[in-house]
Amino acid sequence: MSSLFEDIFEIKDLDPDGRKFDRVSRILAESESFKMDLILDVNTQIYPLALGDKFRMVLANSLREDGTIDDEYDPSDNRPSRADSFEYVMFGKVYRIEGDEDSGRLAAYVSYGGLLMRLQGDANNLHGFEVDANIYLFLKKVAF
Amino acid sequence: MVKEQYREADLAREISQLTFGVLSSKEIRQQGQVQVVAKNLYTQDGIHQPHPYGVLDRQMGVCGKADKCAACHKDVFACTGHFGYIDLELPCFHIGHFRNVITILQTICKTCSHVLLPPPEKKKWISVINRPNLPYLQKKTLRKKISEQAKKISVCPYCSAVNGVVKKCGLLKISHEPHRALGKKKLESVMEERIIEFQSAIDSNAELKGLLKNGHPSIILNPMIVLELFKRIPREDIGLLMMSSASGTPEDIILTRIPVPPVCIRPSVVSDVKGGTTEDDITMKLSEIIFLNDVICKHRATGAKMHMMMEDWDFLQLQVALLINSETTGVPPHMQPKKPLRGLCQRLKGKQGRFRGNLSGKRVDFSSRTVISPDPNMRINQVAIPIHVAKILTFPERVTPHNIKLMKQLIKNGCDVHPGANFVQFRSGGRKFLKFGNRTMIARDIRPGDVIERHLADGDVVLFNRQPSLHKLSIQAFRARVMPHRTFRFNECCCTPFNADFDGDEMNIHLPQTIEAKAEALTLMASTKNIITPRNGEPLIAAIQDFITASFLLTKKDEFFTKAKACQLISSILTEDDSTTKIDLPTPAIIKPVQMWSGKQIFSLVLRPSKAHGQINIRTKGKNYSKDEELCCNDSYVVIYNSQLLAGAMDKTTLGSNSKNNVFYVLLRDYGEDMAAAALSRLARIAPAYLSHRGFSIGIGDVTPGKTLVDAKVKLVDKGYALCEDYIKSLNEGNLATQPGCTLEETLESLILRELSQIREEAGKACLRNLHSSNSPLTMAICGSKGSFINISQMIACVGQQAISGKRPYDGFEQRSLPHFPRLSKKPAAKGFVRNSFYSGLTPTEFFFHTMAGREGLVDTAVKTAETGYMQRRLVKSLEDVCCHYDGTVRDANKAVVQFVYGEDGLDPTLMEGDERPINFERMLRNVRNRTPNLKEDSLTGDEIRSRVKALLSKDMSRDFQKEVNNFFETIATKVDVKYKKFSMSAPPTGVHRFIERLTESHVNDLVDIFSKKYTNAAMEPGTAVGALCAQSIGEPGTQMTLKTFHFAGVASMNITQGVPRIKEIINAAKAISTPIITAPLIKHDADYARLVKGRIEQTKLGEICEYLEEVYLPDDVFLLIKLASKRIKVLRLETDAHGIVDSILAAKKLKLKPGQIRVFNENFIAIYVADKTNIHFTLRNLKTAIPKVVVKGLSSVSRAVIHKDETPTVTHKLFVEGGDLLSVMSTIGVEGKNTTSNNIIDVEKTLGIEAARVTIMKEIDSTMKSHSMSVDMRHIRLLADLMTCKGHVLGITRHGLAKMKESVLMLASFEKTTDHLFEAAYHGQTDEICGVSECIIMGKPMQVGTGMFKLVHKVVKEDVKIKSTIFDKPNLEKFIN
Repeated sequence: MSSLFEDIFEIKDLDPDGRKFDRVSRILAESESFKMDLILDVNTQIYPLALGDKFRMVLANSLREDGTIDDEYDPSDNRPSRADSFEYVMFGKVYRIEGDEDSGRLAAYVSYGGLLMRLQGDANNLHGFEVDANIYLFLKKVAF
Repeated sequence: MVKEQYREADLAREISQLTFGVLSSKEIRQQGQVQVVAKNLYTQDGIHQPHPYGVLDRQMGVCGKADKCAACHKDVFACTGHFGYIDLELPCFHIGHFRNVITILQTICKTCSHVLLPPPEKKKWISVINRPNLPYLQKKTLRKKISEQAKKISVCPYCSAVNGVVKKCGLLKISHEPHRALGKKKLESVMEERIIEFQSAIDSNAELKGLLKNGHPSIILNPMIVLELFKRIPREDIGLLMMSSASGTPEDIILTRIPVPPVCIRPSVVSDVKGGTTEDDITMKLSEIIFLNDVICKHRATGAKMHMMMEDWDFLQLQVALLINSETTGVPPHMQPKKPLRGLCQRLKGKQGRFRGNLSGKRVDFSSRTVISPDPNMRINQVAIPIHVAKILTFPERVTPHNIKLMKQLIKNGCDVHPGANFVQFRSGGRKFLKFGNRTMIARDIRPGDVIERHLADGDVVLFNRQPSLHKLSIQAFRARVMPHRTFRFNECCCTPFNADFDGDEMNIHLPQTIEAKAEALTLMASTKNIITPRNGEPLIAAIQDFITASFLLTKKDEFFTKAKACQLISSILTEDDSTTKIDLPTPAIIKPVQMWSGKQIFSLVLRPSKAHGQINIRTKGKNYSKDEELCCNDSYVVIYNSQLLAGAMDKTTLGSNSKNNVFYVLLRDYGEDMAAAALSRLARIAPAYLSHRGFSIGIGDVTPGKTLVDAKVKLVDKGYALCEDYIKSLNEGNLATQPGCTLEETLESLILRELSQIREEAGKACLRNLHSSNSPLTMAICGSKGSFINISQMIACVGQQAISGKRPYDGFEQRSLPHFPRLSKKPAAKGFVRNSFYSGLTPTEFFFHTMAGREGLVDTAVKTAETGYMQRRLVKSLEDVCCHYDGTVRDANKAVVQFVYGEDGLDPTLMEGDERPINFERMLRNVRNRTPNLKEDSLTGDEIRSRVKALLSKDMSRDFQKEVNNFFETIATKVDVKYKKFSMSAPPTGVHRFIERLTESHVNDLVDIFSKKYTNAAMEPGTAVGALCAQSIGEPGTQMTLKTFHFAGVASMNITQGVPRIKEIINAAKAISTPIITAPLIKHDADYARLVKGRIEQTKLGEICEYLEEVYLPDDVFLLIKLASKRIKVLRLETDAHGIVDSILAAKKLKLKPGQIRVFNENFIAIYVADKTNIHFTLRNLKTAIPKVVVKGLSSVSRAVIHKDETPTVTHKLFVEGGDLLSVMSTIGVEGKNTTSNNIIDVEKTLGIEAARVTIMKEIDSTMKSHSMSVDMRHIRLLADLMTCKGHVLGITRHGLAKMKESVLMLASFEKTTDHLFEAAYHGQTDEICGVSECIIMGKPMQVGTGMFKLVHKVVKEDVKIKSTIFDKPNLEKFIN
């Protein structure tokens, strides 16, 4: 198994309710191929993003290309990983999957240590998401 | 000395009851050791010996250490003393029984001593009195009834003598006016008889005749006469006086002999300075009495003049009275003692008296007191004790083979080295002080069984207490940790229950002396077991102040740590118990570009460092929640998923006390108090560590407003001022529209007040907009750790309106508030509005207004502490013995039922997880869902859930429980149904759809299991002192109610008394409350109809509806002309006309007008003619002033009724009626009677009965508490209301109410009016069962509450007594002889 979800997103809005935090921004983005809505908090201090930026986002259950799952954090681990080919990688947990009754779309909620993500869209694109599962987020800006 | 564990004494020695009574003179002599006759205290021969037969005679015991008692030959420690007695030369009234003497005299015939009741009546009463086990309360009322009845009978049915009024005339004098009851004629004949009787005297003194005619002839009943009368009272009549002949007869309450108490209770103090002794007041008084006795004796012998004798007698009586009660009132000035003495009553009375000072509360050993200070390094259940204290407080430890080595070391260390010991007690007897002597030798010689009084050591259980001890959490058990320095230190999280701060507060420590006491303290009083308050089940011990600030900053969304920082931070928790805790550091939240851990991840480790710790689940709104649940832009929606903080910053709602969403509370409920305490201790470690690294401080820069803010504020204030000016102008011009129920002035005030409070509010908002989020005061206000937004805006922008008793400062200086302003100025600045901020500085006038408001606050707190303290004492006294029994009922000490089921459902308020319900369903659901995902199981459909639940609920579960559980699952099932439909899911769903409202079969099973366990565990334990909990839960929040400024309750100017005064009114069951308001909903809901009904209720005076009143003088006629304002009558919808008004004028009794005097010209004009033609002018004038006050419509008791319009959900109208009685308002046409409520409890009782009164009490207490945002569990309020109403009528929690609630004399005596209750009990010969809490404490018995409630009953196999064979029966008797 490689990844749960992968697409190119374009940032539509930055901090819709105003900039509340110095080092973290909330981005609203929309995916190009699956038309998924994304809300994502990003640490912009170490990975600046601007309005209109496009990035490739991959969600996966594992850091490894082969999909093996590590249970615990191992600081001495320097094996090659999928992260090597991305600029910004986060680790988090899927804690809620919910259906929006009005639009009929599903939304997966993930928290990367407090940086929240909501991926909303058609149920088929969220296949493989499981509540309580650990998840990795890989980000890389795409040139126009 | 080792304290023994309390064991119940042999049955033969137990005090089961106490009988009060009056000693007869014979008994006094029998109990006395010696008759005291000598007035001298000491012999005059210089050797300073007590005078034989004086009041200090050695036969009555001794008080010096060297002396020996002459009666029992024991020394002062062993001899308890012996009584003596003094024979009075003339009988005296007993001051304590003086009222009783009068009542008896009123009841009996003053000639033949029979009770003044005809024989059939007597028979009736005697049959009532002879009922066995007549309650004390009934005895008291019976006595009153009998004496009332007897008082009315003036001619004795037995000897036909005339009896009249008996009353007190002056100090210790009783007069009898036998002829007063007679008719005028009879009296005259009696008078004539008297004049004839005194004829010879009148002959020589003509003035006497006039004097004799004046007034009724009265007889002074002196003690001698009374004594003779009492002696002759027939035995069968004594019962009718409600005395029991077994414990005193009427003649005994007249003193002929007084006991002399033992010397040891009135010790003489030998003073070295003056030489000689200082004697106790009682001793002095007694010797004075002997002296007077001697004088009377001498006068009698020498045949002194009668008035001399009488004077002596009076003086003797006075001295005897002062001996008993030195505060006797009405003493003539020349007889008044020079300095106030302490009589016997004074010894018993008051806070320092015997009852409250020595019997109910005692001095203790093994205690210490010092200043407290905070120490976050202490765990929640630890207190640091200074070495100095530890070396003085000791614990008697018995030597066993296991600890002998340690004990030897302790002995060797001795008194001065800390883990040492102060004394050794050998099993063989004897005790050694370890300060001196050869300690090594002593250490060598100790054997198992000896007792070492060792120093207090680490881990010892101590009781930690701070006054005022308002609730059970004011004293808690802690583990000691002996530390250097001089203060008691404890974790500041434990401040809340004690209400302690560190501005110099002192606290006390008590060291329990037996292992049983230790164990009991640990299981019942340990601070970890008392995290939750029984008041409402919320945690009291929780993070405070800096801990909240630190957690808030740590869990902010943009707080990240590098690996080094994260590890350093989290390792600060590794101390003491946690020093070996394994910490599972999670994968960093950000892996690339650099590894970074978020603050939330670190915080999650505090809750759950490793897999061994609990998983909690919380979803709740934080303090600054905006919208969109966890996607809230302020990050203030907390989501904790299996102890991982996933979203939201921690703030007061999730960390602080008084919140059931507190993480520590949830840990406690799910995993027990140890887990919660450990987590709290970890937080207390990590928070200061983080904060001191990060830095958090405050400076002048934090409160300096920027230019934009200053400009905005000036603009704001100017605008507000201008508006106020406008209002004032329109008032002066007379075009201000009044608000309903207000005068013009009131309207203006409320308008201006609203405008001004808006200024501050707006200024505060402007502050918030302009301050950066790193601003320290702002941070603290946002997370709720300290201060509010108002405080910030006061510092930075504008201090705002200063209020004195809820209003703007009054014009106390010649029609103005201060001399700096023009007279009658209503401008904001002249009436206490402070436009400056604390930063910009206050002007002198502003400063003065500010001090005025500040002073009010200080005075208010000072007054309220005294008031609430007394309230608390009354509440506790009346509720102390109420406890839960094994049959589920709540009963008082006499086993009288107060509630059949505690709080109507028998559940413990401490264990309520939901809103006054035992289960928080939502949280349990999340727990089960998150902890056990059960991925292999299929989710259920709605119907499957329903059928599963139905199968699981069994009949034997309580009905409440089944209902609640069913409701809960029904809501889930409906949700599931909706989702299935919407997302057209298959059953069972697959893929992501599985996770939508997921509930599997084992989830349902687990949930029902958890629910039933929670419900069963939440039952109130039998034995719980629910009364005491109730009293504390209501009394303690009272102390925290501070005065509230600026609140408009619904209608302006319809203020309802709130806070402590209101609570006081309710629990006193006050008849006249300060703001009685009746809420009357109307039948029809339109404004016009409301006005109509208002007209029927509110009183309307004639003056208010007439255009003018004129005196008309015509040549042939004079009358008063009234012109009615018919338009106004119409507008007000008054249902009256000229004829109706005439009727009401005629009905006004004071005017004394007759129908013929009034004429109605037409519907607008009424004329009133004057009947009395002699004084026309003045009569007319008087009429003119009186007529406008005639009430023409409405209830005369209702001064005001205000229409209240409520627009949500539908337009409804109701009336708020000020004053008035419920009955007449309810029965007014147009009022919806069955929904009319009043806040006057006594009125409700009178009108609707006791159950309605009970509901009103509960409603009123609840709403008062709520208005001060104090949450108190309804069960406590219910219990209080039930106690107040359980006797069938509303009894206040006052001494009058208490006397009607409680049987026990000891209990009442230890409350208030100590001596009155004792004398009354003695009169009745009352027998007191020792069963209540107060009585048991006084008697030193364990009380029948809690662990003292049950007894171990076991069958004793009694052996028959065998007849012992005597020596003569022995067969080999001869042997013995030889």
